[in-house]
Amino acid sequence: MRNLFGLLVCAVWLFGTPLTAQEQSPEEIIQSTAGEVLNILNDQKAYYRDHPEELEHLVNHRLMDLFDLDYAARLVLGRHGRSASAEQINAFGIAMRDLLVRRYSQGLLDFESEDQLQILPLSGKNSDRLTRVRTRVKLGSGGFAPVDYAFRKTDQGWRAFDVSVEGISYITTYRNQIGPQVQQDGIDAVIDGLRSGSVGVDGN
Amino acid sequence: MRSHRKYRLALLLGTLILSACASTQKPLSDPDNDPWESFNRGMYKFNTAVDRAVLRPIAKGYDKVTPQPVQKGIGNFLHNLSYPATIINLALQGKFKKSAIGTGRFVLNSTVGLLGFFDVATKADIPDYDEDFGQTLAAWGWDDSRYLMLPFFGPSTLRDGIGRFGNNYIDPISQLARQEDEYRPLIFDVVHTRAGLLSQEQALEEAFDPYIFLRDAWLQSREYDIYDGDPPLPDYEDFLD
Repeated sequence: MRNLFGLLVCAVWLFGTPLTAQEQSPEEIIQSTAGEVLNILNDQKAYYRDHPEELEHLVNHRLMDLFDLDYAARLVLGRHGRSASAEQINAFGIAMRDLLVRRYSQGLLDFESEDQLQILPLSGKNSDRLTRVRTRVKLGSGGFAPVDYAFRKTDQGWRAFDVSVEGISYITTYRNQIGPQVQQDGIDAVIDGLRSGSVGVDGN
Repeated sequence: MRSHRKYRLALLLGTLILSACASTQKPLSDPDNDPWESFNRGMYKFNTAVDRAVLRPIAKGYDKVTPQPVQKGIGNFLHNLSYPATIINLALQGKFKKSAIGTGRFVLNSTVGLLGFFDVATKADIPDYDEDFGQTLAAWGWDDSRYLMLPFFGPSTLRDGIGRFGNNYIDPISQLARQEDEYRPLIFDVVHTRAGLLSQEQALEEAFDPYIFLRDAWLQSREYDIYDGDPPLPDYEDFLD
């Protein structure tokens, strides 16, 4: 059983990366990736509940693959990131991702089915470089949570770089929290803090 | 008697405003949206102190003795009671069809939903709009307004602070307080609302700068409401500077 499962995770992982590299539209990317991950989680809910590290691994290598972490990191760091090396930017992006995944991946287990994720038609100002995919996540209580993804076109196709929940963007919100900390303690200290959990972006 | 009370309050606020202005000037963290930061920070400190001393303990007690389903019902009731303001503001913004749908929601929840305690409209897939006079002022063209931390009421903007007068005029709970000197429903409303925020306060407390965290989250959430869930994308490229 476990072997079969490991195989499944590997298959998803290997399969997933080239898929996103193709010229898929942002909506297709969200639809296929989120749908797949939710299906996997639904099939193996009990297993993932007992193995949070496997869950984080799955989320990191499947869902978070959509994200242009370096770009997100540069946006959050702003002018404080200008003197940082590429390695520091990269480490910062990964540390931020890990913090978010550690904190929120458990929430994915509350999903009952793929139908709980609804993708709204495109609206507003979209360019051929920048767009937003708006989704609604149905909640058990009867309401829904609006979750939007900002995408930009890169050489590897469309990549997401920001998530907004109820209109509150991670990047916009973290920017003003992280900036002063980097100024005060330096980027390496903030990366270490994110890793150890002593630096929070929104507390919790 | 009432005018005396108001006078005393005005005096108290005046003192607070002056003392906040006298505090040392630091560079503004967001000069465009928050040019009154030093005043706002003073007011935030004041609000936090009032909250710690009075409101939060009461809200915690209320939260403890009130079972979750009851709280939900009360929340539905209060939301329904404020719905006429949403209906009027939808109409003021020219959203007549939505205003009609909102009226249907209000009637359904007030009757079948037993005075609004049960949100049957949501179960029937009737959309739930959220409008107020501040949003109407934004729709009429005042779309950018400076952040303003109101005493007692918390985060707002100049525009939304002014919009409050319109909301209070319509709101039945505020009317009771204003016309009948009956403050108990208003106090109850405030305590209930505060109790609903208890689960979110940890994030605020542990933020590097809680004032900025609250401001940024509130302004974004407000923009989201004004644009009915479809605000323009932030100017991300600007963030790189």
